[in-house]
Amino acid sequence: MEPIYITGAGVVSAIGIGKEETLASLQSGRSGISAIKYLSSSHQDLPVGEVQLSHEEIIERLGLDATKPYTRAALIGKLALKEALTDAQLYGKSLDEVHFISGTTVGGMDRRELIHAQEPGCDRDIAEIATHNCATCTEMIAEGFGDFASMSTVSTACSSATNAIITGANMLRCGLAEIVVVGGIDCLTLFHLNGFNSLMILDHQPCRPFDQNRAGLNLGEGAAFLVLETAASAQKRGTKTNLVLSGYGNKCDAFHQTASSPNGEGAFLAMREALDSAGLKPSDIQYINAHGTGTPNNDESEGKAIERVFGENYPPVSSTKSLTGHTTSASGSIEAVFCLLALEHQFLPLNVNWEVPMEQGIIPVVKPVPHPEIKNILSNAFGFGGNCSSLVFSKMDD
Amino acid sequence: MEKVYIQAAEQISIQNPLSEEWMDNPIVYHEPFVKAVNPAFREYISPNEARRMGNLMKRALVTSLKVLKETGIDHPDAIITGTSIGSLDYTEKLLDTLVENGEESLSPIYFMQSTHNTVSSAISIYTATHSYNTTYSHGGVSFELALKDAWMQLYLGQISNALVGGHDEMVESYFELLKKTGYVGVEGMVPCGECAMSMMLNKQASSENLCELAGVSVFRTKSLANIRKQLALLAEKAGINLEEIQTVMTGVNGNPLNDSLYQPLLDELFSNAKHLSYKQLFGENYTASALGLYAAAHLVKKQGIPVMLFVNCTTNRDCSLIILKGI
Repeated sequence: MEPIYITGAGVVSAIGIGKEETLASLQSGRSGISAIKYLSSSHQDLPVGEVQLSHEEIIERLGLDATKPYTRAALIGKLALKEALTDAQLYGKSLDEVHFISGTTVGGMDRRELIHAQEPGCDRDIAEIATHNCATCTEMIAEGFGDFASMSTVSTACSSATNAIITGANMLRCGLAEIVVVGGIDCLTLFHLNGFNSLMILDHQPCRPFDQNRAGLNLGEGAAFLVLETAASAQKRGTKTNLVLSGYGNKCDAFHQTASSPNGEGAFLAMREALDSAGLKPSDIQYINAHGTGTPNNDESEGKAIERVFGENYPPVSSTKSLTGHTTSASGSIEAVFCLLALEHQFLPLNVNWEVPMEQGIIPVVKPVPHPEIKNILSNAFGFGGNCSSLVFSKMDD
Repeated sequence: MEKVYIQAAEQISIQNPLSEEWMDNPIVYHEPFVKAVNPAFREYISPNEARRMGNLMKRALVTSLKVLKETGIDHPDAIITGTSIGSLDYTEKLLDTLVENGEESLSPIYFMQSTHNTVSSAISIYTATHSYNTTYSHGGVSFELALKDAWMQLYLGQISNALVGGHDEMVESYFELLKKTGYVGVEGMVPCGECAMSMMLNKQASSENLCELAGVSVFRTKSLANIRKQLALLAEKAGINLEEIQTVMTGVNGNPLNDSLYQPLLDELFSNAKHLSYKQLFGENYTASALGLYAAAHLVKKQGIPVMLFVNCTTNRDCSLIILKGI
């Protein structure tokens, strides 16, 4: 396929507000996982990766009306969207022909939880918020920036943002748009913290992706958005960069609602499709940003799939979820920004907390090592229900 | 590009399920909220499997399996679903448990089926289909976004058929909440219903196909001028003149808040066209437009309508236009 230009990016997670802080954390391997601070939960024993800003602090930072009932998801999303749009020099009127596609799963569930108990006694305004559907989350994020040409919300659990990126790329390739803003958002909620806890896949220690003794994931929160643009549009606007989305794949594991198949069939097919669409061989990839949640099941299954695609001499692999926690719907776009930073600044993001190799498993990058020039990166995101997607990001020659 | 056809379409709604009986013998309701009429699920899914599934999933699976059977396609090239509120029943149960018992003793079953992509996934798992799979959850245009995704990939030649669905359920407590927003339960409007609709899109021409899907467009309403502009673009791509549109189907439902979205368009552009509506049959629902397009496709086939414009406008300023052509 023709490369798609990435002319802007914004990111917010436990390891930083914005690309600059994020880059510093990634390069030093600083984890943002700690005890629960902002979510009002009784599970104080579960470490999480929270965005280190309160509701009020984000409102102040963005200069928003403090009396409006924003959801935390919308606020975090706005921080990331603002950075991405500023980066791509898109303001107000210039958004009229730009399409906005966001991925989310829990949407405005944090507000919904707050008022669920008082329904149906609540008034109309509260009811509007309480309907919590995912579109409201997308609209609330976009509100105030401009009047997008269209809006869309993708919801494929933990691969939502990745699939939003794929939908946006398809729109560009079909000639339905010249610029799309794509990505995803999820904030921590009692709903999914307790949901994941009921599945018994949350680690009570900081998560240890690809470690023999890994015992589950830590939930995180955050948002990231990318501005994707056709070559012609980027040329015209003078925003052309050398960072591109060069390939993508979406396949279904078709195995189980909440577990991955033992041989990672969905992941294998998605990675292979992404490489094929980019016109690349496995040996052209210099780094893999794994889904790597830290659950016994995912890391084994993904490791198998990586070895099936890349063989024994697979490129350096790491899971940055060891730094951010699993940011669920947002993880695909947050990790996409990590990949772009890695391409731009030529470093391998580290997989922290790793000590013991898995039996016949992936050995991740745990400390800075010499590496060839990083030109192509593969990024994985897999969701409940077997929604497996992979993206390839590349640095074009100057 | 090559033409895209709607090959088959099935529904479970407040009308008789998996049939076109609504054409001649519609069920008429006077209640503000009506649950869907469920078919005998055991004819399609083993009771053992069905026991673990919520209503939304069972209905989605049955409409999908029926479409797959009718079209003889075992593994579609894409499975794409639109659902605004997903497995609402289980989501509500999980929230109830949180309120009643605090953060203890939650059932994993409720959580596992509460993510919006469970429907698309269940279809993939049940049919062992590894192909492209995604879910859109964007209020009243969730289904059209799913349809547009399929259309894009057919256009790009990445797939040659796609199973596309629109699925939403409703529960009493959520209906009461929605009533406060003025979306449903308004005096004089159609009942709030439930929706499960699956259709197969295919590039293969056949006299058995229901109709041609000549174009799909989803955009922010903004103004009447913008709708006009989007319609002109879509018509051009679909290769038709606006004068050829003699039939328009809309989502009017007796709720002034909703109906006023369509009136200017009908008055200005289609005052001479025949106006059809579907919500008096299928009720209001976030994915009601999926049932609408299902009805439109069957009507185009049965009544030999040459060109039909299908319009869906939402109070959230989303709008979709779809052009169907007879074959």
